[in-house]
Formats: sequence, C-alpha cells, structure tokens
Amino acid sequence: MKSFENKIVVFHCWNLRLFPDGAQKEFSKSWPGLSLVSIPCSGKIEAHFLLNTLASGAQGVLVLACAEQACQYMEGSMRSRKRVDFARLWLDKLGIATERIEFVRLWPVCKQSLEAVLKEFVTKLESLGAIGAPEKV
Amino acid sequence: MIVAELKEFDEIREMIDRYSSVLVVGCDSCVAECAAGGTRETQLLASALKLSYLKDGRRKVITEACIDRQCVDDFIDVIAEQVPDHEAILSLGCGAGVQALARVYQDKPVIPALNTLFIGETVLRGVWTENCLGCGQCKLGYFGAVCPVTRCSKKLMNGPCGGSIGGRCEIDPETPCGWDLIIRRLTAIGEIDRLAEYVPPVNWSTSHSGGPRRVIREDQKP
Repeated sequence: MKSFENKIVVFHCWNLRLFPDGAQKEFSKSWPGLSLVSIPCSGKIEAHFLLNTLASGAQGVLVLACAEQACQYMEGSMRSRKRVDFARLWLDKLGIATERIEFVRLWPVCKQSLEAVLKEFVTKLESLGAIGAPEKV
Repeated sequence: MIVAELKEFDEIREMIDRYSSVLVVGCDSCVAECAAGGTRETQLLASALKLSYLKDGRRKVITEACIDRQCVDDFIDVIAEQVPDHEAILSLGCGAGVQALARVYQDKPVIPALNTLFIGETVLRGVWTENCLGCGQCKLGYFGAVCPVTRCSKKLMNGPCGGSIGGRCEIDPETPCGWDLIIRRLTAIGEIDRLAEYVPPVNWSTSHSGGPRRVIREDQKP
C-alpha cells in the first residue's frame, strides 16, 4: 500500500453508509493511500472528475455505487456506470490502462465488501505501475 | 442551434503539441447543448490532455475556461486576463466562436477542437438532427414547418421524388422522407391547400454560394 500513498481516490454514494459506526478515521489509517469522497449519488459522477483525478496524481479511481435495486434515486447507479464506461473509453483513447478506473456496486452498510474491493484494486494498480512509467501488461 | 462534435483526440494533440501552455476555452451556448463544447466537455478535454502529457512525461500548462458565448465580444472579454499567460488557445466553440476569438486575440494562435456540423435541434437526449441549412429564404410557412431544403435529401421544393418507401428516404432508410413529413403535418393541421400555392424556386444567391453573408441593423448599432 505504501507505494500508492495518497494515490487512490474513491468516490462513493453516501447512501452506501460505509461507516455507520463512525469508524472512517480508523479505516483510513489502515489505508494511508486512500481518499474517500462522499457524493450525494453515484449518478452525480462525471467523466471529467475521474480523468481529472488521475491527471492530478492519483493512480486509480474507484467509483462505488449502490446495487441497482438499492439506488435511492432509481437510476443513479445506472447513470454512474455509463459515465465510468465513458471515462474508460477516454483512457483507452489515451493509451492508459482502463483498469485504473473501477466501478463497483455494493449493498449499503457493507464495509467488508469495501475492503475486499480495495485489496483487489490495489493489487491491480501495483501490477500496472505509475502513470507515466511504462505500464506493465 | 449550431451542432458540433469533438475532433479526434490525436488531431487535437498534434495541433497543440508545439505550445508549452494552452488555454482550453469552451462555449456554454449551442455547443454545450449538443454536449460538444460546454463547461463539462471543456473540463473533460482539458483533463484528457493533462493526462495524456502526464503519461508521456511532458510538462505542459493546460488551463480551462468557459465563456457564455464565444461569438460575442462582450463575453469573450471574460478570458482577457488569462490569455496572455498562454501561448495558444484551444477553442471548443463552433467555427464562428473560433474565428471570433482569433479576431479579438490577434497575437494568439487559436486552434479548433470541434468540427462544426450543422444547424439542428435536440430530438432527444444524445440525438441531434439537422433541420436548417440557413438558405436565407425561409419557406417553412408553406410547408407545415418542415423544411424541404434540409429534410428532403434532394432538396425538392415541389413535391416528393417518388422514391421513398414507407415514409423513409431512399437515400438512407434511417432518414424520414421530408415530403412525407410535410404532407402529414399539413394534413394534421388542416392546411394541405398550402401545397397548391406557387412557391418560386429558391434564390440560392442568399445562401452561402453568394460568399460570406452579413446582417446589418442600423437600429442595433452602437
């Protein structure tokens, strides 16, 4: 994790209630490279947020949306999926690994899933190396 | 509105490669409506450029700005303070916007990021169609507000060609037959008799074939 300190940004729908126990600070300590950005709905995400996050130094961006059936705004998590796909098309066009932007749907109040998703994402990013360095395929 | 679309990224990058600093300028009017050059698209392109140069390990200053209307001087002034800090301007305006910026900032190269396509409308989110050619002699009143010059692939002014099948154009089945639309619309509003009125042939000298057009209104001048 150390090589990616402060290099992963997670945009998550606040309806996911990832930390109902208020343990976000504690959680962040165990993931020092992580920035958690809470948004009112994952459908609020825009492709340029994702690209700009990478352009600003992050090595990966994770979008966490509610499971479709759990979306409080009916189609918010469907929209975010489209926007993420669009941003990934851009990465492809730029010759950057599309895996640097990940989209995952979770059920609300499920911190265990978050940890599993993060572990997998970090492993993927470590295998890719930093943007700007030759990417490992 | 003017409908445009983003150029291929490689073409844009190639055009701006020679500058060390670029001001990416969007336009929040027509090209924002067609999701080609508004604030959102400006930020997207600027981010993509930053990322592209980051990937290549090249330093380049990319700044974004968006103005309400790139084709009007009063709005163009909004970026006056940012322009001197950049070697070039990359415009996400239509062709008119690009040229207006070049006229106002005469010492700066202005590069277009969009291909300007046509005058059209948003038929549904994500779909824009052409429906005005700017011929300079609008006859929509005779044709039930459906333009034969634009909506008929053959620009016929005096009735259908006879080649359409099931209301679709023989040139492209995806395109509705303009004359089918005209007749249906006039029938629906009870004005099919309009087609009995003589409409003189279009005087194309008022269209672009007469060179760059201009409108002068003395009452509007300063």
